[in-house]
Amino acid sequence: MNVNSVSSTFLLIAFFVYLLAFLLFVLSITGKKWSNRDPETHTKRWGFVAFLASVAGFACHVTFFFTRWAEGGHIPTSNMYEFMTFLGMMIMFAFLIVYLIYRTPVLGVFALPIGFIIIAYASVFPSEVQPLIPALQSYWLKIHVTTAATGEAFFGVGFAGGLMYLLRAVDYNGTTKPNKREQRGLEFTLLFILILVGFIGSIFAFNGSGYKAAFTKQVTQTDAQGQQQTTTQDETYVLPPIVQPHGMQLVEMKPFLGMKQPLFTAPSWMEGASAGRKLNTVIWSVLTGLILYGLARLVSRKPLGAAISPVVKGMDPEDLDEISYRAIAIGYPIFTLGALIFAMIWAQEAWGRFWGWDPKEVWALITWLFYAVFLHLRLSRGWQGKRSAWLSVIGFIVVMFTLVGVNLVIAGLHSYAGV
Amino acid sequence: MFHNTKCDCGHQNPTGTTLCESCGKPLIDDDGSDLLEMRYDGMARRSQKSNPSILDKVWNFFSSVKIAVYIILVTLVASAVGTIYPQENTFLDMDPAQYYEQNYGTLGTIYYKLGFSHTFNSWWFITLLFMIGTSLVICSLDRVLPLYKALSKQQIRKHENFLTRQKVTYTGPLPEQAEAEAWTSLMASLLRKKHYRVHTDGTALLAEKYRFSRWGPYINHIGLIIFLLGVLMRSIPGWHMDQYMGLLEGETKQIPHTSYYIKNEKFNLELYEDKDLPESIKEKGQIVPKTYETQAVLYHCTANCDDNAAEPVLEEVHRADILVNHPLDYKGLQAYQFDYKSSPMLISVKPTLSNPRTGESFGSFDLPMNNPKDEYVVGPYKLKLKGYFPDFGLDDKGQPISKSNEPKAPAFIFNITGPNLAASGEPYMYFPRQIDKEAYSQDQINGAIAQKLNIAVGSMEGVQFAQYTTYLNIRVDKAMPYIWVGAAIFMIGVIMGFYWQHRRIWLRIDDNKLTLGAHTNKNWFGLRNEVAAAMAKNAIDISPKLLDKGGKQE
Amino acid sequence: MGARKKWVQMTIFAIVLVIGVFTIMTNLSASDSKKYPQVGDKAPDFSLVGLDGKTHKLSDYKGKPVLVNFWGTFCPPCKEEMPDLQKQYDKWGKDIVFLEVNVDKNKVTVQGFMDQYSLNLPVLLDAKEEVRKMYGVMDYPTTFFINPDGKVEVKKIGQMTESFIDQTISQMAALKKS
Repeated sequence: MNVNSVSSTFLLIAFFVYLLAFLLFVLSITGKKWSNRDPETHTKRWGFVAFLASVAGFACHVTFFFTRWAEGGHIPTSNMYEFMTFLGMMIMFAFLIVYLIYRTPVLGVFALPIGFIIIAYASVFPSEVQPLIPALQSYWLKIHVTTAATGEAFFGVGFAGGLMYLLRAVDYNGTTKPNKREQRGLEFTLLFILILVGFIGSIFAFNGSGYKAAFTKQVTQTDAQGQQQTTTQDETYVLPPIVQPHGMQLVEMKPFLGMKQPLFTAPSWMEGASAGRKLNTVIWSVLTGLILYGLARLVSRKPLGAAISPVVKGMDPEDLDEISYRAIAIGYPIFTLGALIFAMIWAQEAWGRFWGWDPKEVWALITWLFYAVFLHLRLSRGWQGKRSAWLSVIGFIVVMFTLVGVNLVIAGLHSYAGV
Repeated sequence: MFHNTKCDCGHQNPTGTTLCESCGKPLIDDDGSDLLEMRYDGMARRSQKSNPSILDKVWNFFSSVKIAVYIILVTLVASAVGTIYPQENTFLDMDPAQYYEQNYGTLGTIYYKLGFSHTFNSWWFITLLFMIGTSLVICSLDRVLPLYKALSKQQIRKHENFLTRQKVTYTGPLPEQAEAEAWTSLMASLLRKKHYRVHTDGTALLAEKYRFSRWGPYINHIGLIIFLLGVLMRSIPGWHMDQYMGLLEGETKQIPHTSYYIKNEKFNLELYEDKDLPESIKEKGQIVPKTYETQAVLYHCTANCDDNAAEPVLEEVHRADILVNHPLDYKGLQAYQFDYKSSPMLISVKPTLSNPRTGESFGSFDLPMNNPKDEYVVGPYKLKLKGYFPDFGLDDKGQPISKSNEPKAPAFIFNITGPNLAASGEPYMYFPRQIDKEAYSQDQINGAIAQKLNIAVGSMEGVQFAQYTTYLNIRVDKAMPYIWVGAAIFMIGVIMGFYWQHRRIWLRIDDNKLTLGAHTNKNWFGLRNEVAAAMAKNAIDISPKLLDKGGKQE
Repeated sequence: MGARKKWVQMTIFAIVLVIGVFTIMTNLSASDSKKYPQVGDKAPDFSLVGLDGKTHKLSDYKGKPVLVNFWGTFCPPCKEEMPDLQKQYDKWGKDIVFLEVNVDKNKVTVQGFMDQYSLNLPVLLDAKEEVRKMYGVMDYPTTFFINPDGKVEVKKIGQMTESFIDQTISQMAALKKS
């Protein structure tokens, strides 16, 4: 990370102000019991302070955006780092809009973490300003990427609303089968979030300490003219190799916790150059996520969902349902416009075909179809409450897969660099 | 099942109507107190008829939202599966059966056998899209006509039952000093200020705004239908073309299936200098292209176009610089800059035939690496081409072979006839590249004739060299305008439907008792706030929450 | 009213059906063209000029078994199998048609090769590689054994031994007789 630049300083400030705003929102809800004042006034006052803090953080973030634009000479939405920080900024923007409509501080408790977790995730990627490759040299870069991110940001706030609804509505005292299923589902969702946090944390920690492990192998290929060519394939790991790529030799590896050799080898059916590294990253994320989850359970001594649900207890479930739906209803047209229409126009100009079924396009379509299903089930089939909440949670997971999974796991014309 | 369709108010409703078209009184379950089903204002819909015929059954199938949701879900899942491995259209000129097995093993072969290697143009995927299209048409038709009928003739004074069973409702006495008609007209003016269109009937009122938003979904469906039809139109012969071509600098090739030829006159590549690149990229030694373009020339074939043997006659019709984001466009034929490759290759040389001892030059000739002529006449000498090795090398038995099909190390064997040479001609081996000439000791191989004749390139003049191969994507897409129109209509429909909501407020005063009901298709929160605010200004204070009758919103 | 509704419904369905059939049909015919001939498929027809200067079409030989071998002078395994192919041509040439589809850029190279190794198999020149692409040939040598009905009987990728060529041809010849 280039800590010397002005823009990155602003981002850092924004990050910490968001953290502060989050704590203030938590205080506005939980502090009710301790304060001598009337709980409603307490919530209102601290909610307002927290709101101001969010606005301040957003202002710093916007400053980061424009200063980086000035530094780089192009709009900062051209690589994974820039895009993710922009998404974080728009999530804050979407949150502020929805907050102004409904004025519920509880939303801050859930929406802000999404914002700063995404910023933390962004920091995993190389942050230097990279010059634009020819394909990105178009004014559509400003239009398509920003609009799509804005739509997705509203889906993120919808996700927060959905999560809040589930925490409010899932009965932790109930013991019937459907109850148990819901409790487990919610726990799993929270675990999933912790796995993502674990992923970010481990990359940060090991990257920061300069950890590296390297593998290599020789590959012989026969081309169309019967000629044999031997090339060397190298693979570098940022995380300690629990699993080494199939068919590769270890070149060097820093020992970790007494581990001097990779513990396992990726199965041979895992073809593809980086399959081993990605599997290793997934294993690390799941492990750290489970550890974080375990620690959280130890501290709370009950399922995490049950531990968090008191925060939303004061809310009317219908309001939470409304918030989640409204956010998605605002975001859907924006998402369609940005991620599909503008994308198609740009694709037509750049590549000559408005739609090529490449993985990123297909996953944008899948996201769009999914939210179309959400809206139809809600409006025509009466799917509200818990069912709608689950859909809004799954929907955002689909959005995150489009952003993270497609770029990193599935290759293609459209993807950003990988970790 | 026959229901009495004549309402108490005297209006005769069509079979299947659930709320009287005139006064709104519930025709079924008229004693209950549940929330009324307000979809289409209770009008009879075609798909709700009893005794469905086959035609009706098919209609009902496609008009069902549940079915539509299933079809969308299947499409969604199928699309996801289609992204697991690269699709067939991402690699050129390779046999898919081999590709998947070689690169992805058993899982890959299964993927290929199941047909997922070309998911998006498989017959079943197209059928799914077609079913979505059909569903769009029929769903919309089934609902829009009754809705239009319902909304165009609305009664002001609604039945009390209708009002109390709305999701937003209020029953209570008028404020103390208020007089029924005056209160009503004050309400009317308050609501007019909030952009409502208000109709009054003495002590009854109907306020309505943003009805146009109800048409949003139907408009967006029409947009999607036009979009899908546009995509379908690409199958019309001549409306669509999509192919890739690789052209070496200086090369002209025919655009397959057309009578056009395209030439890559020159390819220009500019890289970012080190000072513009961040550390991480410099470390890896990566290069980042800044711009690249193909200076292209488009020709039309005027004669000998299909002849295998003769050279086609070409006429230049267009010139353009093709860059990413800036394609060549000529009468609907488009060429996009897709990719490029560094491929240094000798194109042709212009060697001179001379006498090495006297220095006398006999002339020079153009020798292309691709398709050299059978015979060259230089001065008094005739050079007949006997052998040609594009990529010269010696096999393990010391025999001359060509290592590949590319002119990477060309070698020519001429049989030269002319003055001071044997009548049947003498062989001469010529290596255009200096490096090959020395490596294979050209002069030694040629022996005696090397004393008499020398073929060599004097200067770099006449040497044509290509650095890059450019890859262009050639396209024709006449259906695009329809596709864009469909997309635009879709967006308009979606914006209409989501950012405005259709709101209606009815009220009536009977003996100083106010009965109010309100309905919207979206955003009950906003409607409640608006009703409560208007009432507050009219001396009735009620919190928005209390207006809510409960039950499902939307 | 009821009758008119029904008429409207029928019209809509009719239009939908027509579009549906059009969709499926154009899609099926489009995907056919992308398929490369596998065993059992009809061998696509092609027209190429030979080393003899004459134009040869695959359809010229309908009714006779055809061996189509894709090769290049720069391909070592192709060179190895050439003498075997020559011997087999001498043996079976009257009953089976041998077509050596060559992808070298220049016919002089090919002629030189044939002279160098004293070969007289019929060679067809595919310098533009159009037929190679049509047949989905990725590696050299690749050989298609086509039966008298014009369908691919055997597709062999890689160098063949003389006994393999002999056996495969015998089987094809036997089929013809039966």
